[in-house]
Amino acid sequence: MEEYTLPLPLITTLSKVFWDGCRENKLLYQHCRDCGRVIFFPKHLCPGCMGHNLEWLESKGKGAIDTFTVTYEGAPPAFMGVTPYCVAIIRMDEGYRMMSNIVDCDFDALACEMPVEVVFAQVTEEITLPKFRPAGG
Amino acid sequence: MESIRGKTAIVGIGEVPTGIYPERSFVEQAVAVSEMAILDAGISKDEIDTVIPVLAVANPIDNANMVCSWMVEEMGLGGSCKANFVCGSGGSSSSNSLKAAMGLICAGLSRAVLVVHSDRLGTGLDMGAAIAQFAVVSMSQEYEIPFGFSQLALAGFLQQRYMYDTGTTERQIASVVETLRKWAALNPNAMLRDLRTADDVLASKVISSPVRKRMMNKLADGASAFIVTSAERARELTDRPAYILGVGSRCTNFTATEGQGDFYKTWTPAADDAFAMAGIGREDIDVAELYDAFPTFILISMELVGLCGKGEAGRFFEEGHAAPGGRLPVTTNGGMMAQGHTGAGGGVAVLVEAARQVMGKAGERQVADVKYALDTASGGIGMDFHVGILGNEV
Ligand SMILES: [Zn+2]
Repeated sequence: MEEYTLPLPLITTLSKVFWDGCRENKLLYQHCRDCGRVIFFPKHLCPGCMGHNLEWLESKGKGAIDTFTVTYEGAPPAFMGVTPYCVAIIRMDEGYRMMSNIVDCDFDALACEMPVEVVFAQVTEEITLPKFRPAGG
Repeated sequence: MESIRGKTAIVGIGEVPTGIYPERSFVEQAVAVSEMAILDAGISKDEIDTVIPVLAVANPIDNANMVCSWMVEEMGLGGSCKANFVCGSGGSSSSNSLKAAMGLICAGLSRAVLVVHSDRLGTGLDMGAAIAQFAVVSMSQEYEIPFGFSQLALAGFLQQRYMYDTGTTERQIASVVETLRKWAALNPNAMLRDLRTADDVLASKVISSPVRKRMMNKLADGASAFIVTSAERARELTDRPAYILGVGSRCTNFTATEGQGDFYKTWTPAADDAFAMAGIGREDIDVAELYDAFPTFILISMELVGLCGKGEAGRFFEEGHAAPGGRLPVTTNGGMMAQGHTGAGGGVAVLVEAARQVMGKAGERQVADVKYALDTASGGIGMDFHVGILGNEV
């Protein structure tokens, strides 16, 4: 595997579940059994009811682009060498939002509300990043 | 609970020119603006019994020293000062320190509060370090940073979605820059004083779509300060203080991913609270000092605060209504886009400008007959939103 030089997620005991899921090509999110709230980023307590009764569910990996930007210049230092790239906020069908990159696409064709689906990019032995591409692409 | 509307006032302001000043030290700036604010207020320095330094972004060691009463010693307040604590909420530190000052004064715990901000974003860190630092503030190291997120990308996010939702054109957004440059041309403390037209802005290259190079703010060195005291004391000092009539705020999120789509909805209730406390309507506002950082932020906040209808702010700017001579002047110091981005100081600067306009001290850019000024502030990556209303009578 080619050496990966971009920042990797800082893994905690809580987020390990999520990143372990990604390594198995599963996109996980939390759900509160008490109040039904859908939770992402992973939390220690339910931010709705302060309950501890949280479970992990697997997302279908489908959503729509809430908003996006294609960065050509002024990227964080580590990303200077990979411009242009698209970073987006994706509104998942399950009702949560996540940030990721939109890949395998024509940047000029991107638009808010475009349907997208997850693809998994293994970048190191440990880490697989969930990325998105236009749905059906 | 009795309202604290009009019980406190800003009576003195100080500000040094914003720009690139490698020879001007952090404390030199802080001392200069504190002295100006005290002289402007016409109070004895010994009346200041609370100092609230605002957290600087680029100077961690200076910050730590400010917590440890550096300014108390520099200004010789050692005999009279009772409290010194740093306020750190990024761009909203201005509004949060204002509210802390109001509370201390109304509770009888303080007579006069000095809020002081100094930062050296232009020269305090080398540019690489400054960019690297901004690249991680208010972001998730797990779920955002690995995807190349940045403050600039946030500006791209907001502008992209705002244009999609409202049909606002790129030219209208560019006209915000044109407007702010017109104001900065009248502001001797502003960094970028040469005019830029919307065409100039549109001719510059896309940096992070749809944000163009000339839609970006400029990191700078700068400092500003203000003094808050009771309304009674203010009336003894001047016949034109800037009374604090209303404040409102909401704090919502840490990161853009969780805030995006939701956080701006809370800007309206924050404004509702401020107007309810002030007891005036949107139509009464004579000048709006809207926190910027990027041009779209001004348009979004203008609509959500209720100073114009949804999707109408772009046209308002394009038609010149926010510019000098316009029917509602907006961000008359030029904002961070033109006065310069001094970190949390950008928020202090617009609050100071609101007070300056109300006190009738804005010189060439003074808006005629200002009775009410509105100011906004926001910290982090849209983590909170604050609205203040100042007026020249209670
Ligand atoms: Zn719950």
